[in-house]
Amino acid sequence: MYSPSLKRKLFFSGAACLILFAGKAGSSSLAQESSTAPERRGRQIYLQGTSQSGKPIFAYLGDDSLEVPASTLPCASCHGTNGQGTPEGGVNPANLTLETLTKPYGQTHPSGRKHPAYTNRGIELAITRGLDPGGNRLLPVMPRYSMSREDMSDLILYLGRLGKESDPGVHDAKIVIGTLVPARGNLAEMGNVIRAVTAGVFADVNAAGGIYNRRLELSVAETGDTPAASRANLERSFDVEPVFAMVSNFIAGSEKETLSFSNQKEIPLVGPFTLYSSVEPKEGSRVFYLLSGISDQARALVEFAIKTPEIKDGGIAIVHSQNELNKSVVEAIQQQSKVGGWSGGESFGYASESFDAAAMARQVRQAKRHGVFFIGNAADALSFMQEADKAAWHPTIFISGPQATAEILKVPPGFDRRVFISFPTTPADQSAEGVREFRAFSARHGLPSSHLAAQILAYSAARIVVESLKRAGRELTREQFLAALEGLYEHQTGLIPPVSFGPNRRIGALGAYVVTINLKEKKFEPASGFIDLGRTK
Amino acid sequence: MICKTILTVLMLMTIGIAPVLLSNRSHSAQAQTAANNKPTKKVNRYACPMHPEVRSTRRGKCPQCGMTMRVVKAEAPPITTPIPTPTPSDLATASADTGGPSASTSSLHIPDVEVYDQHGNRLKFNSDLIKDKTVAINFIFTTCTTICGPLTATFQRTQQEIIAQELSVQFISISVDPMTDTPERLRVFAAKFKAKPGWTFVTGDKAAIDSILQALGAAVAVKTDHSPMVLIGNEKKNYWTRTYGLSSPSTLFKVILEAANK
Repeated sequence: MYSPSLKRKLFFSGAACLILFAGKAGSSSLAQESSTAPERRGRQIYLQGTSQSGKPIFAYLGDDSLEVPASTLPCASCHGTNGQGTPEGGVNPANLTLETLTKPYGQTHPSGRKHPAYTNRGIELAITRGLDPGGNRLLPVMPRYSMSREDMSDLILYLGRLGKESDPGVHDAKIVIGTLVPARGNLAEMGNVIRAVTAGVFADVNAAGGIYNRRLELSVAETGDTPAASRANLERSFDVEPVFAMVSNFIAGSEKETLSFSNQKEIPLVGPFTLYSSVEPKEGSRVFYLLSGISDQARALVEFAIKTPEIKDGGIAIVHSQNELNKSVVEAIQQQSKVGGWSGGESFGYASESFDAAAMARQVRQAKRHGVFFIGNAADALSFMQEADKAAWHPTIFISGPQATAEILKVPPGFDRRVFISFPTTPADQSAEGVREFRAFSARHGLPSSHLAAQILAYSAARIVVESLKRAGRELTREQFLAALEGLYEHQTGLIPPVSFGPNRRIGALGAYVVTINLKEKKFEPASGFIDLGRTK
Repeated sequence: MICKTILTVLMLMTIGIAPVLLSNRSHSAQAQTAANNKPTKKVNRYACPMHPEVRSTRRGKCPQCGMTMRVVKAEAPPITTPIPTPTPSDLATASADTGGPSASTSSLHIPDVEVYDQHGNRLKFNSDLIKDKTVAINFIFTTCTTICGPLTATFQRTQQEIIAQELSVQFISISVDPMTDTPERLRVFAAKFKAKPGWTFVTGDKAAIDSILQALGAAVAVKTDHSPMVLIGNEKKNYWTRTYGLSSPSTLFKVILEAANK
C-alpha cells in the first residue's frame, strides 16, 4: 500500500523520466540539423583550442609547471576530429563521444582504469583537473585546461555532436561539388563546355549507382567581371548550398581572390584553370593543380637547357616583362639553374608598354649570352628575335609554353630549331584506351568538338575527384578526401601525364615536355620526353 | 640487394642490442627491488614503478597501468635506462671490426651524415650537433597528432629552464617522417612551440635520417609507432641515457643536469 506522498513522488519521477526522454529524442534528431551557435563555438574550442570570445584558454602539462596556449594542444589533436582518438606511441586517447562518456554502466579502460558514467560536472573535472568520475588520474599526456565557464559549457555541448556531424556538402544521398565557370563574354562558350564535361562525368557515375549510394551533384557559380565579383559569386552560391569540394574552377586572372576562398573556407579544389599553378600557401593548401604552370614549365626548360651542349654555365639571360607574376617565374629559373649547378643567369627586365626590342637584343648580345629565356608575351619575343636576326645573331630561345601563341611560328629562318617551347602535356600522353573512352564519353553527352584542351582538363579533373571520393570511403570527410588526393601516385588518366600528389606536392604532373619549331615544315617537333621535376626534387 | 643489406644490418643490430638492453633493464629492476626491500620503517609512501609521479599513501595498483605500487623513499629517482659506456677494449674490437655485430656494443655510434635544420642549413649530424656537447634528443613528425604536442611542449619548458640556469645544452628534435617534413614544415612546427636558439629540428634524406634513427635505437616501421623516448647524452664523457619524454619538465631537467655534470 502506497502512501499518497510516495505515489506523488513516483508520479513525479515518471514525469521527470518522460521529460528526460523527450530531451534525448530531441538531441538525436538535432544531429541531422545544422548546429547551434553554442555548438559552433564549442567546435572551435575542440578543433582549434581558441575561444570566439577571445578569452584565453591554457593547457597545463605534467606538474602544472608547463603552461601553453590550448591552440598548441587542442582536443582534436589527440582525440581526432571524430572524437574516436588517434593512438600513437603507446598512448590511446579516450573516445570522447557523449554516448561513450555517458554509458550508464561506466567504462573500463584497457589500462584497467574504471569509472562510472560521466556527468557534465564530471567532464568539467576531467578537463580542468585531470580526474575521471572514479577519482582516478587521467593519463599524464592529457593536459588540464583552464577556460571560462561559458567556453566550458559550449565545449561540453559540442561533445554531444562529436562524430555525428558530416562535412558541408555531404548528405545521406548526395555529395555536392561546386565549380566556377565564365558564363558571359568571349569565354562563355568555354565555360559551358567545362560545365557540360563535369556534369557528364558526374552523370555517368550517378547512372552507375553513384559513390557509396550517394549521387554527385554539380553546383555552378559564375565568374564576375572583376576578381572581387568572382569571389563574391563564389561566396553567395556556396553559402546557400555548401559544397564539399570544387573542381575545374576557372580562376585565371582572379587567382588570389578565388584561391583564398578555397583555403579560408577549407574547401578542396581540384584542377583549377590558370596559367600560374603556384602553390601559395604551400603548407596545407587545399588547391590541387593537374598541370605545371609557367614557373614549373620554365624550370623544366632549365633542366633541358643544362643538357644542351652549346649553352654553358652562366650563358643564360632571362629577359622578362616586369610584373609581379613574372617575378616569381624569374626566381624559379634562377633557383632551378642553381640546383642544376649553374650560377643562376643574368636578368634583363623591361616595361611591357615600352619594349625596345632592338636595344634589348643589343644589350643581351653584348653580355655574351647564348641562351635566352624570354618571359613575356609572344609578340615581344617575336620582335626580339627579329631584331637579333637583323644583327645576324641567333641565340637559343626558351619560352614557357603558356606564353607562346601561334604568332611564334613567324620567327626568322635563322631561328630554325633554335626556339624551344615547353608544354605541360602533349598528345603523346593520350593512350589509345584513354582516347577511346573520351570519344565515347563525348558522343554520349553530345559534347562539341571545340575547346578540346579545356575538355580534356575538365574531364581529367572530374575523374580525379571521383577516384579520390571512392578512395575516401563512405565515412566521407574533407580530411579523408585530402588524404586520398595526397595518396594519388602516378595515377593514369589516359589523357594527361600521370598525376601524383603528396603532403608537399600540389601539382599533379610536375614537369613539362620541350618542343622546338621546325620552320621548314612549319610545325612543332618534340625535343624531349616528359621532364619530370617531381623526381629530381 | 640494398633491401637485403638493410635487413641484415637491422637484424644484426637488433640481435646485438637486445641483450644489452635486456641485461640493463633487469639490472636496474634488480637494483630497485633490492633498494625497496630494505626494511625501513620511515618510508610509508608508495609509487608506481612505471609512473613515478603516481604516489599513494597505501599499497594498491597504479591507476594508469595497473602495476602494483612499490614503497619508495621520499624522492623517487626518474626512470631512466642508462646505456653502458663502452670500455676501451670494446672500442678496440669495434674499430677493428667496423660494421660487424660487435660494433653494437658501443650502442651509440652516431653517423656523421648530412642533414638539414629547420632553416634549411646543411649540417653534419654528429660533428655539428652531438660532438663535445650535452644533448637532449626527441623524435617527432610535424603531422603527428597525439604525443608530439605534449612531447615538444615538455621540451620547450625544459629548454626555458636550461636557459634560465645558463646551461649549455643542445636540444634536437629528429623527424621520423623526413619524406614529408621539409625544413619549412619544421620551421613552422618550431615556431608553434616557440623553440629558442640551441634547439635544432632535423630532417634530411630518408637514408640519412634512417641511419640516425637506427643508431639511436629509435627506428620504427610506422611513424605513428614512434616512442615518446628522450635520449640524453654527454658526448664528451660518452654518457648516454634514455628517459620517458612525457614525464614532467622538472624530471627531464634533472636527468639533463645529471648528464651535463658527469
